[in-house]
Amino acid sequence: MVDWQYSESIESSNIVSIKKKYSNYIGGKFVEPKSKKYINTISPSTEELLSKVPLSNEQDINSAVKSAKEGLEVWTKLTPNQRSRYLFKIARLIQERSREFAVLESLDGGKPIKESRDFDLPQVAANFFYFAGWADKLDLSWATKSLKPYGVVGQIIPWNFPLLMLAWKIAPALATGNTVVLKPAETTPLTALLFAEICEQAGLPSGVVNIVTGDGSTGSLIVNHKDINKIAFTGSTQVGKLIQKSLAGRDVGLTLELGGKAANIVYEDAAIDQAVEGVVNGIFFNQGHVCCAGSRLLLQESIHDQFVKKLEKRMQSLRVGNPLDKNTDIGAINSKEQLDKITSLVNEGVDDGGELFQTECELPGNGFWFRPTLFTNVQPSYSIAREEIFGPVLTTLTFRTPEEAVEIANNTEYGLSAGVWTEKGSKILWTADRLDAGVVWANTFNKFDPSSPFGGYKESGFGREGGRHGLLSYLKASS
Amino acid sequence: MIDIKKTYKNYVDGKYVRSESGKTYTKELKNEFYELPLTSRKDIRDTVTSSKSGFIKWNGLTPYTRMQILYRLSEMIEGNKESYIELLVSHGTSKQKANKDIVLAIENIIWFAGLADKWEQLAGNLNPVSEEYFNISHQNPIGVVFSLSNSTVSLNNLLLSLLPPLTIGCSVISYSEESSVLALKFAEDINNSDFPSGSLNILTGKFENILDDVSKHVEINLVSLHKEIENEGLKRIQENASSSVKRVVSLPSISGLSSILPYLETKTVWHPKGT
Repeated sequence: MVDWQYSESIESSNIVSIKKKYSNYIGGKFVEPKSKKYINTISPSTEELLSKVPLSNEQDINSAVKSAKEGLEVWTKLTPNQRSRYLFKIARLIQERSREFAVLESLDGGKPIKESRDFDLPQVAANFFYFAGWADKLDLSWATKSLKPYGVVGQIIPWNFPLLMLAWKIAPALATGNTVVLKPAETTPLTALLFAEICEQAGLPSGVVNIVTGDGSTGSLIVNHKDINKIAFTGSTQVGKLIQKSLAGRDVGLTLELGGKAANIVYEDAAIDQAVEGVVNGIFFNQGHVCCAGSRLLLQESIHDQFVKKLEKRMQSLRVGNPLDKNTDIGAINSKEQLDKITSLVNEGVDDGGELFQTECELPGNGFWFRPTLFTNVQPSYSIAREEIFGPVLTTLTFRTPEEAVEIANNTEYGLSAGVWTEKGSKILWTADRLDAGVVWANTFNKFDPSSPFGGYKESGFGREGGRHGLLSYLKASS
Repeated sequence: MIDIKKTYKNYVDGKYVRSESGKTYTKELKNEFYELPLTSRKDIRDTVTSSKSGFIKWNGLTPYTRMQILYRLSEMIEGNKESYIELLVSHGTSKQKANKDIVLAIENIIWFAGLADKWEQLAGNLNPVSEEYFNISHQNPIGVVFSLSNSTVSLNNLLLSLLPPLTIGCSVISYSEESSVLALKFAEDINNSDFPSGSLNILTGKFENILDDVSKHVEINLVSLHKEIENEGLKRIQENASSSVKRVVSLPSISGLSSILPYLETKTVWHPKGT
């Protein structure tokens, strides 16, 4: 037998120069925080300090919002065609600097370079291109009367797809004539700050895009600012509820893209090998740090044993390690805090009686890592079957009939996404109709496109991002 | 001695029911007295149970059938036009205005009836994704909608507070304070038509009494307020709603396509293309 030696293939990080310290981007300028305080941002794969970014305080948020209000004056006076051209320009500049962004994303967030390079960055550019084309066609978008932008939009984004979530937020907001104050996540601020350079390069009028960094307290200052007209938040359901509560009684728009616990239903008549691939992609993509991850595998009883065997074999081939290695399938867990949360939920799953399978692989000494994990013999009441783990952990449940599959799939407060695997077309449509989920992937999983609306039912939030429907998140019907 | 003209009951699950609390309140119209149910927390709970099953029944019908049931309602109101005008006049509306109100109400039911089998074509679409996938966004009704009707006593206003969600397949709990007599008279036409039980439940009372129960109830998917609520009340509703990410809309659009948008959930389905 040939002994295949593994050769690593490391993407060079020379392409990106990381500053020792960053500033906020307010009113078209990089300005030091009035708070004079900074937070560290580290590489989760080595725990090395990458840089320091501002911990913005009330004064910083005040100036960002003020600048966005001033930016609005300029932005709304431009013609739709001019706004469109700025967005096209931004899209083009992102394409040109995409490798730099991809490397920085993998360094700061821990995701494999093959994902940041081949998924995140192409999607980021595509989002700006897509919404660029809407900016001068808003009157054709919906057959409704006088849709108007909100004005100043506060946007708070998570750490799982840092630059892509920025694109999902900023592109439609600008296309619809709003200006923004965006706060990237505490652990992944660097690509947003690099994006500020793109805004400069594109000559975007000052104040149209403002980027402020910080922690939860900074986010809360944005939400509670009196001059904010709309909040768009992506993150946990827990924080989403707090935001919804703090906006109570105020005339501020809100869209929420929150957590999920997606069912990935595999019927016995599915193409099994294809389904195994889809299930692996569904949960292990981006270390499982995906709100729409297919974290509950629903297997028809008759194929359970066969499927689990194939799945374990396929999981074993996943390569965990250095995010900058082009062969890496699973990178680092984004933070120590997240690793602790995953570990604690997995321990709970074992204590509850779930049967644990983890792949055998060497994990690097430093950094935050978690082995690809599969639970079988799980009861629907276990916390691993109910709570969003947001890590590379898959929980298996079984069903006998399609009706039962739908019942289990919908038996959650979440409703973001779901998967269906069967070779029978009528069964796909029957199942998709009955699933309470904003996105249903049939015989595929975790596919995204700027033209395809994304967002949840129930406690997974409200509003859609992407597509024609995504425009409505940034336009209100004026009476 | 008070002259009691009529004791009305709530209309829940296709039946006329008293408030379980036994409480009523009195409304005087042109020196005649109406006894109306004062809806309690328990009534709200019972109504939501009915609305949940009503949603499954109503949404399970084809759009074509829903369209015909709504159109039938317009015929019933047309047939009872005079009695509606009489009731509006007893509320102090001029005969001319009352007549116009009913004419408008009928026009609007017909407009929404005709929308029942078209809204999905107006609000959904294929998405041109840049890979070999079939990708379609279509809509589901959000579920159980609680609708607080407008304070003006008008059949047209009452209908516009419930037709947008009802047309697309939601079940509706319509709650009236000022228009309570009118709403419960309208319930008679609902009862005599082909609406499945629970698809439209009609309650009356003081909203303040049940504000918390409604906004905290996790099985009410959306609260729609068609009347101005003082800010403290609105704040309480929205705070309560946040515990289950419940949707709250205040003074929503009641005309055109934008009238139905708050009650829709957009679902996007992907499937690969291949041989």
